[in-house]
Amino acid sequence: MTELIQHRLALVEQGAYKHQRRERVDATALVWDKSPLLRDALLLKASLEAETPFLFPNDRIGFTQSRERFAICRDRDGNEIWTDWSCGNNTPDYAYALNNGLDHIQQAVAQKRAHCLPQQKEYYDAVLIALDAVLAFADRCRDDARKAGADDLYRALCRVPHQKPQTFHEALVMMKLLIFTLRANRNIHLTIGRFDQYMYPFYRHDVKAGIPRETLLELLEEFFLSLNVDTDTYMGAQQGDNGQSLVLGGCDKDGNDAFNDLSRLCMEASMELCLIDPKINLRVNKNTPDELYELGTQMTKLGLGFPQYSNDDVVIPGLIALGYAPQDAADYAVAACWEFTIPGKGMEIPNLRVMNFPLAVLEAVTESLLACDTFDELLAAVKEKICVQSDRLMAQAVFPYIPPSPYLSVFVEGCLEKGLDVSQGGAVYKNYGLLSAGISTAADSLAAINNVIYQVGDYDKQTLLDALAANFEGYAPLRNRLLDCPKMGNNDDAVDTIAGELMETFASHVNGKPHPFGGVFRAGTGSAQGYYTTSVDLGATPDGRKAGEMFGCGFSPSLVARVNGPLSCIQSFTKFDLSKIINGGPLTLEIHDTVFRNGEGIAKMAQLVKFFILRGGHQLQLNTINRDVLLDALAHPENHRNLIVRVWGWSGYFNELDAPFQQHIIKRTEFTI
Amino acid sequence: MKTALVFAIEEFSVYDGPGIRSTVFLKGCPLLCSWCHNPEGQAFHNEICKNTNGCRGCGACVRAGENGALTENSVAACPAHALRWAASSFTPEELVSQLLKNRDLLTGGVTFSGGEPLSHPEFLQDCLQRLCGHLHRAIQTCGYADSDVFRAVLSHTDYVLYDLKLLEDAAHRHFTGVSNAVILENFRILCQSGVPFVVRTPLIPGVTDTEQNLAAIAALLKENGVDRIELLPYHTAAGGKYASLGRVFQPAFDESVAPNPRLELFKKNGIAAVVL
Repeated sequence: MTELIQHRLALVEQGAYKHQRRERVDATALVWDKSPLLRDALLLKASLEAETPFLFPNDRIGFTQSRERFAICRDRDGNEIWTDWSCGNNTPDYAYALNNGLDHIQQAVAQKRAHCLPQQKEYYDAVLIALDAVLAFADRCRDDARKAGADDLYRALCRVPHQKPQTFHEALVMMKLLIFTLRANRNIHLTIGRFDQYMYPFYRHDVKAGIPRETLLELLEEFFLSLNVDTDTYMGAQQGDNGQSLVLGGCDKDGNDAFNDLSRLCMEASMELCLIDPKINLRVNKNTPDELYELGTQMTKLGLGFPQYSNDDVVIPGLIALGYAPQDAADYAVAACWEFTIPGKGMEIPNLRVMNFPLAVLEAVTESLLACDTFDELLAAVKEKICVQSDRLMAQAVFPYIPPSPYLSVFVEGCLEKGLDVSQGGAVYKNYGLLSAGISTAADSLAAINNVIYQVGDYDKQTLLDALAANFEGYAPLRNRLLDCPKMGNNDDAVDTIAGELMETFASHVNGKPHPFGGVFRAGTGSAQGYYTTSVDLGATPDGRKAGEMFGCGFSPSLVARVNGPLSCIQSFTKFDLSKIINGGPLTLEIHDTVFRNGEGIAKMAQLVKFFILRGGHQLQLNTINRDVLLDALAHPENHRNLIVRVWGWSGYFNELDAPFQQHIIKRTEFTI
Repeated sequence: MKTALVFAIEEFSVYDGPGIRSTVFLKGCPLLCSWCHNPEGQAFHNEICKNTNGCRGCGACVRAGENGALTENSVAACPAHALRWAASSFTPEELVSQLLKNRDLLTGGVTFSGGEPLSHPEFLQDCLQRLCGHLHRAIQTCGYADSDVFRAVLSHTDYVLYDLKLLEDAAHRHFTGVSNAVILENFRILCQSGVPFVVRTPLIPGVTDTEQNLAAIAALLKENGVDRIELLPYHTAAGGKYASLGRVFQPAFDESVAPNPRLELFKKNGIAAVVL
């Protein structure tokens, strides 16, 4: 790490840029009487006009906020309206911006406007206001950079964003400007996407020009550092949940291996900096060399909670089956956490509602257990409940109001062509994802009932129902018996096949069903924070879990399961054809940090990841954890300020998590490998 | 039918031999090392373990037991699910079929550890024979066994992780409870057997990490043409499991001192020392 980066890192970690932040501006007077489309563009304009980005010494990337938040607008009662967030959780078409420059795009929009239908005019007007505002802002920043003596930044801004960049540095500056302005436009959880692909031509340009690799690494690190600035002002569910994920490797649109020198440089930069942003996702497939898994494992060893792996061989056919064009499917990226989306083509809402599998089991058990003479009858009743719940979730999934976002729609294919804002259906893909929570708790519950009631028969149905109603108070022996039944994660077909049937029911009922916004529904294995929200109010379940106890994170063993180890766990969670349930959602494995003590351990860990991929796993996140360290961090947070953990698809600082999520992670590690 | 008590099957053990392995821990050990971090592996009979974090002290287990002692009924009665049997009984057939379930993922194979695997010779040999041709077979042993037993097991073993703790017999008796004579005899047998092996020494502060002891080990290795050793530093968390068995961890050495691997002693003798 160079001196410049060390120095900047210290400033970023100390937050030595927050002192200059001023209060947000209230733009109500400017925008209140405008239509939603124009209001949005004018809000962006007001936000950018109020900004004079802070510059670090020798800043080459720039764009650190000078306001605590961006401009707001109030209604007549003084409440803020639609000013915290707008469309998001997708990847903009950065390649389009980088390959054309904003002047060219602006001209194209102006031409469209000149020949548009009357009803499209306002949309194009709004886009032009937004682009004007961004270009004016960039010009002002350019002049400020010159005044501040930030010569490199000044020179870059003389070219970008008006014209397309030539050098790697210019491309990085343009990326940071786009990220900054899209955030000012309140587009939350916009992800960085396939950075190593769309940035590669600029990187190649510099390499061919003879610029040393170390220089490019330093620039990249400065850019990565800039993504760790201002994250405290971000409107995520919790700090760290800010959507800044970056996808590396995988295949290109034609199926060729796309991992390149820049992918490697990104991994090196991330490993040197050891910061939570950007969060690295690795696309892998059956042809991925061992060496890349080992590089990924080196990163896992650092305890950042990434890379997260996604398997091309499962994801791409899964997306094609959902109706995505093969070339688009091959170009998939990962949204804020793990949701599979197509860069620059989507206004997808991949996490709209959560299927609560254990709820379906409990409903069926409460209503039908007494009447079910065989386990198969009970299983059929559960499947019926899953279908009913799926229908309910899809019916509730009416298109939520999303404020227009004319600026974002510049970077989403289909919008400019159709003259239709991204919020109004301009994008190519507009699918809705349903999450799911508690698959292991549900399957474990059914396996336990099968064993205790139908196979062994040591307890009767009424006793089980009474025990559940009493939250197992006074039923310790029965609860212990249930807890000792087969659990998902131990490669036991008695429970794994049940899990497969529940997922099959959910996915086949949901996948491809049309919704009013012009897309289809897609089922997934991820839960986001649903493992908490759907479990806190749920009563005791027949796997021995007590009322209110949390489920495992997304697609993972339950917290009450004693898991044999990662070999069994991987086999349990790859028995089902996961391409059928491909909204996204990783298996989470917690790995004890002693596994990484030496190179031998790293090579073996890399093999383990490879097994998961070769066996048809779709997505995997790994947490390097030492339980004692976590417990100590709980007791003495001041000693563990930089302790990073993977939560539900993103990495965060342990100390900054809400208490239930801290407890959940500690609970997850009870049986750490 | 022969059975043995297994107190753990560790999947993905990365430090018990080549490749990704499953390590089987057989219950019961003839030694009683002062630093033992697997106290549940010492006794040859099964025991009830209590998760001391989960236990609420409600007393339901004692009421369900007999004369104040915990029984099977106590395990069932615990409302916190904090009690469990330390080990499960397996026949060789059951154990091997369980191990083979992970066959595709075990790039290394299986390691039998303990406790002391050589203390279950019939069971062990039966398992090793059943695994022949399916998975690479290793044993991790303290070497304290009848030499005929050791020879017989070696003939079904692909790799040995052999512990050398203390070379001075009096010290060995003091800290492990037994003489090292048979251990050193078996070590010579191992060196002549042609079976690949690695020597491992736990680094216990002030006990095994002394200059005298490590120099003696280095000399013994050199004498037998052994050019590699793995050193396992003592970790202070080792005593953690004693409380769950209702025992108190009382090491006969100062836990707070960091062990000294004295790598130069090995280097001097041309031996590659790896600290795990």
